[in-house]
Amino acid sequence: MPKSVSKLLNLSRKYSIWAYQWGLACCAIEMGAAFASPRYDVMRLGVIPFPATPRQADLVVIAGTVTDKLAPAVLRLYEQMPDPKYVISMGSCANCGGPYWDSYSVTKGVDQIIPVDVYVPGCPPRPEALLEGIVLLQERIANEDMSARWKGDPIVVG
Amino acid sequence: MSSADTTVEPDAVEAAEVPVVDERREALLASLVEALGDAVVGSHIRPLDDLWVRVDREAWPTAAATLKDMGFTFFDYLSAIDWLPSPYGRDMDAQEDLVVSGAEPKVPGPVEQGYAGGDTRFQVIGRLYSIPDALGVHLKTDLPDDDLRVGSWTPHFRGANWHERECFEMFGVEFTGHPNLVKLYLPADFQGHPLRKDFPLLSRRVRPWPGIVDVEPMPGRDDNEEGDGE
Amino acid sequence: MTDLSERDQMAYIAARAADARVNIDLETEGMTLNLGPQHPATHGTLRIVAKLDGEQIISAEPIPGYMHRGYEKLTEVRTYPQITALVNRIDWLGSFANEVPFILAAEKLMDVEAPPRAQHIRTILFELARIANISLFLGDFGLQLGALTMGFYAFRDREHVLNQIESATGGRFHPNFDRIGGLKDDLPKGWIADTKRAMVKLRDLCDETQTLMVGNEIFQARTRGIGVIPADVALSYGLSGANLRGSGVDWDLRRDACPPGLVYDKVDWKVWTHPDGDCFARTWVRLQETREATLIVDQLLDSIPAGPVMAKVPRIIKVPAGEAYVETENPLGAMGYYVVSKGDLVPFRVKIRTPSFNNISIVPWVAKGVYVPDLVAILGSLYFILGDIDR
Repeated sequence: MPKSVSKLLNLSRKYSIWAYQWGLACCAIEMGAAFASPRYDVMRLGVIPFPATPRQADLVVIAGTVTDKLAPAVLRLYEQMPDPKYVISMGSCANCGGPYWDSYSVTKGVDQIIPVDVYVPGCPPRPEALLEGIVLLQERIANEDMSARWKGDPIVVG
Repeated sequence: MSSADTTVEPDAVEAAEVPVVDERREALLASLVEALGDAVVGSHIRPLDDLWVRVDREAWPTAAATLKDMGFTFFDYLSAIDWLPSPYGRDMDAQEDLVVSGAEPKVPGPVEQGYAGGDTRFQVIGRLYSIPDALGVHLKTDLPDDDLRVGSWTPHFRGANWHERECFEMFGVEFTGHPNLVKLYLPADFQGHPLRKDFPLLSRRVRPWPGIVDVEPMPGRDDNEEGDGE
Repeated sequence: MTDLSERDQMAYIAARAADARVNIDLETEGMTLNLGPQHPATHGTLRIVAKLDGEQIISAEPIPGYMHRGYEKLTEVRTYPQITALVNRIDWLGSFANEVPFILAAEKLMDVEAPPRAQHIRTILFELARIANISLFLGDFGLQLGALTMGFYAFRDREHVLNQIESATGGRFHPNFDRIGGLKDDLPKGWIADTKRAMVKLRDLCDETQTLMVGNEIFQARTRGIGVIPADVALSYGLSGANLRGSGVDWDLRRDACPPGLVYDKVDWKVWTHPDGDCFARTWVRLQETREATLIVDQLLDSIPAGPVMAKVPRIIKVPAGEAYVETENPLGAMGYYVVSKGDLVPFRVKIRTPSFNNISIVPWVAKGVYVPDLVAILGSLYFILGDIDR
């Protein structure tokens, strides 16, 4: 793909992310503050937080503790998202288990189940930190090579 | 039962010369003993604070019904206590902890119960509250180790339904007469009863907690001004 | 007392009879609808398995446990200050309120009393946590019923309260500020005046909610008469907080059984109840409680005594052996900690009595014969936080 086309595609993709909110615990409130409150407005970055279904989303923000009981549901929802998709893991519970690192029912980090692009540390991270994570993700998208994503093994459904 | 007055009387407890007598709770205990007779095998009153009553295992549902008739209609909670000291110690394995806190090395002690006594490792504890009188009572009962069963409170207090399910999956206590005794919190294929003391926390077995003192002391100071784990 | 009124029952029977004549071969019974665990209307990961007959629910069973983090096991391997930090995250909206009963139980066992200034500030932060929690409820309930604007207003005005909590404690959420024997630190300069201004804004939010949402015709049509819970059933299930006061039971732990360590007896305030027991009653009670909380904070701010904020407690805290139970009126209901200590750095067993656990166990009873949108209204008005149910 010629470079200018790639750059244009990436530019349009990074400023029109549709974010699916997988808000689980306390971080969900900070994510809500980042997405819905007029103070830490995320729509100025082009991220629209409205899709209620994963089928129309580009980005999923996993905010909160993932338990072993919930892990199959997380995987299922991730697989329902169409490519290209990105994952932001928000908060220390989703990054590595967090304050519940020794619990018998907590998955120690959501990256054990799905691949993560950006980790936002904090307990809970301030809404500004989440915005910085989204900005980092936008930089990553800007530097992406779309054709390389499609090369490789064919995607088998079923 | 005597009239309702508030239980907040901090000044009375300070006067250490005269032992404080909590009349309302003594009267409540007396009426319980009168209603249940031999089933009441132990009790403890912390004056102006709370009342613990230990009953026989067979009398566990009857005690709930009796208290409900006496006006204790608010169901607070129901759970169990495992009195076995943990064979894994406090899981604070670092050397620094022993130095700083003067803790003893991990030698599990004998099984010792708390208020209102007890003879067995497992005890079921429940709390009921009377709103007009502003009085609460803790009920305890012993469960023999080989027969962890006790009558259910669900015919008298509907809220006990979920509490008993949780107790069942966390401790393994069976409640006879419960309409639907299945797991509440844990996934269906979870094995073991987590709140028992001999259920290990595997993350701590694999990687012990580094210890309370994890801040370097300031240069020139050699004591532990910073390290108290807050 | 029946779940459906006489009129509703007759209407249902008539509808079924009419249906049976027309739709002989259509099977309208027995569809199982799964609400959750991810759903915009379920405050978190609560899964409700509802068996439907057309649009009416035959049975609804909540399945908690998707946020079960094992608090009671974790408290057996953490020291008391560490538990204070962890326990913030049970009811994650009014976080300071979770620490208070635990600290009070430990203080009771240690026989330590916090100095008056610390008790005062503790009560102020407790009420601020209540305001932060319930103001989100007011916004969120509107969101669930379809009134999106309320959500934005609530988030906007809640920021004022979070600002105040942050400037005093350092954390917008999870303050981790309470200590056995007092508080971690004193208040910053100018905090009292700023908080008074924030309370004025919160009262404006309450008035706005009153006109926009609670007084709205559609809101009233959706919540009046829905999810009626009579008082004796509520007591038997162990409902507490605004849910119980919305059913007419006049009980508030702040007034009736205030534990030593909080100073509600020095403030002139009122307990609000509503006799109806439906969704509207519970929402109305919570709205009045928020306004009352701002008035309590104003009175407390005017009368903070001077003095230290921390009593003399040893550096390494070992709580003497014993058992203690303290229950306080948290924003969600009556929350209590039963602390069993054996004289160690670490408690022996901590049983956490959370209000939402009992509040949600009533859903199977109250959701019989209710329509699916009404189930959303009932869940919203019972107001739970997943961390509170699942611990």
